Amino acid sequence: MRVLVVEDDALLGDAIQADLKQAGYAVDWMRDGVSADQALTTEPYAAVILDLGLPRLSGLDVLRRLRSRSTPIPVLILTAMDTVDDRIKGLDAGADDYLAKPFDMGELAARLRALIRRASGKAELLLQVGAIRLDPAAHRVLYRDQPVELSPREFAVLHALMLNAGKVLSRARLEEQLYAWGEEVESNAVEVHVHYLRRKLYPELIETIRGVGYMIAADKGS
Amino acid sequence: MHNHASLKQRLLMLALAMIAAVWIVAAAFTYFDARNEFDEVLDAHLAQAASLLAVQASHELDELDTEHAPQLHKYARRVAFQIWERGELLRLHSANAPQQPLAISKPGFSNNVIDGNHWRVFTTWNDSGEYLIQVAERADVRNDLARSIAVNLLQPLLFALPLLALLLWVAVTRGLLPLDKLAREVEQRDPEALTPLDAEAAPHEVLPLIERLNRLFARIDAAIQKERRFTADAAHELRTPVAAIKAQAQVARTASAEQERIHALDNAILGCNRAAHLIEQLLALARVDALGDVAVEPCCLSDIAAGEIAALAPLALAKGVHIELQESDMVPAANVRGNPELLRMLLRNLIDNAVRHTPSGTAVRVSISNDHGEISMSVSDDGPGIPEQEMAKISERFYRPIGTPGEGSGLGLSIVKRIAEVHNASLQFTPADNGRGLRVTIVFRQ
Repeated sequence: MRVLVVEDDALLGDAIQADLKQAGYAVDWMRDGVSADQALTTEPYAAVILDLGLPRLSGLDVLRRLRSRSTPIPVLILTAMDTVDDRIKGLDAGADDYLAKPFDMGELAARLRALIRRASGKAELLLQVGAIRLDPAAHRVLYRDQPVELSPREFAVLHALMLNAGKVLSRARLEEQLYAWGEEVESNAVEVHVHYLRRKLYPELIETIRGVGYMIAADKGS
Repeated sequence: MHNHASLKQRLLMLALAMIAAVWIVAAAFTYFDARNEFDEVLDAHLAQAASLLAVQASHELDELDTEHAPQLHKYARRVAFQIWERGELLRLHSANAPQQPLAISKPGFSNNVIDGNHWRVFTTWNDSGEYLIQVAERADVRNDLARSIAVNLLQPLLFALPLLALLLWVAVTRGLLPLDKLAREVEQRDPEALTPLDAEAAPHEVLPLIERLNRLFARIDAAIQKERRFTADAAHELRTPVAAIKAQAQVARTASAEQERIHALDNAILGCNRAAHLIEQLLALARVDALGDVAVEPCCLSDIAAGEIAALAPLALAKGVHIELQESDMVPAANVRGNPELLRMLLRNLIDNAVRHTPSGTAVRVSISNDHGEISMSVSDDGPGIPEQEMAKISERFYRPIGTPGEGSGLGLSIVKRIAEVHNASLQFTPADNGRGLRVTIVFRQ
């Protein structure tokens, strides 16, 4: 799951990046509005955490530009300006959620999960396909009610495929979800993760669409 | 309103005093005018009485034996006459006339004092020159008359003044109604409301007051807005480091790798230092902002610069930055009148700023010059400098140029600006000598 963090404060940005990485996200961190705007036009993020007081281009302007391109990426505003007026302005400019500084990292992560869940159109807390249940908050996967040990990247691949169950995800799309900017993408990384997932769960779970990518079939009726 | 001079009372007192004064002056004029008229009329009577006596004396005196004439009127006691034969023998006189002559025998009016009484005397000879006739009147008659006229003039004033006072009080109260209305309007104001007072309906005389008040309101409003903005900014500025410290601490708690945990803890400590620096700068700014007149004494800029450079050099060297002191040949030395503590704070902020922004391996230059008595001090760095269009903004609170490392408080130059103001010195921002970097110059006007 790849997210963009836009925060001009070095220490705060560093902490958010570190925490989200621990939670298994691929995190890009931009420190000004213009870079954030550019990144948003090119990269497919699952969510954006946006500070409002940014140099060069304000957070609100970044948000307006994003929404003017009709991009539905969920946006969580993170700011020290927390009057009701500021919140209204932020939400009206197209934000999906609002968190005032100082905040709790756990709350930030929870809100981020909620945003991503809602954006995928799924209301349940747990993703379920067949006998596999995935808990994004706890970072846990159960197969036939038995916990399965997955590496963070394997978890991320499974999470992305289950979120998009019934749709084909290209290898490139999965790679983008797995790696932040500047991170070395290992060749065949996606193949390797899929391979392990099939072995730890069951081989038929992930279908290879040759020349296109991978998918997990949706449950009937879901 | 107690203890304060009342405008109403003042107006009333002044008006009453003026009326009384005019009345008294009018009465005085009337009194003196009346006295002159009496004198004329009564003198004419004396003269006429004398000429009557002269005519009578010529015809009838021989037939008269008695020396006393009858008294016919109460005022007659105050009127006397004497008829002297050839000026020597008293032939006839009124009962109240003295035995000695009323005046010397020279014809005409004269004033004389006999037995303590003031007499106005008219002396004449009859046509034949046989008899000397003297008619006199006591002067106090005239005084009594004039006094009674003056009293008649002044008496109404005693009744009129209280009545006038009452009427004037009503008039003054009504006249000052717009002022009362204004006072009520100001009194009932919400203390937060600093909108201008309505000058339209106000009387001409209070317009200047309203205009001043409105200008004062505008100034206070601007000051309050500025304070509010500052408080909001300060809260905002303090929240970010606190958020960073908290976030780093939470990362440290959940970190799985030791290296990650230490990194987060180091960052949390860094965040605390940054927050502490910000709080110190906020307090310093609040302190210099509140300064009115400061105690000044002769300060040697070279000594101050040397002291501050020595204090900051270790930190700068740790960053690979040298601080140099450049002094032109100064005769006399660069002494300014100032507050040494504030000047040290000013220089400390400037050097700290320069060290923050200059790259490692370059130098920060502090120079002091005395150009024909114009003393200036400047600090320049080799940093990225400030774009032309942003120069005006850099001394604003919490302004940080793009790309500056986050650890600055954004208040240093605000503090410098305020200290310069307190010293009546001007502050200039220019590119440094090499065309890049920033040079901040303080010019002292002595």
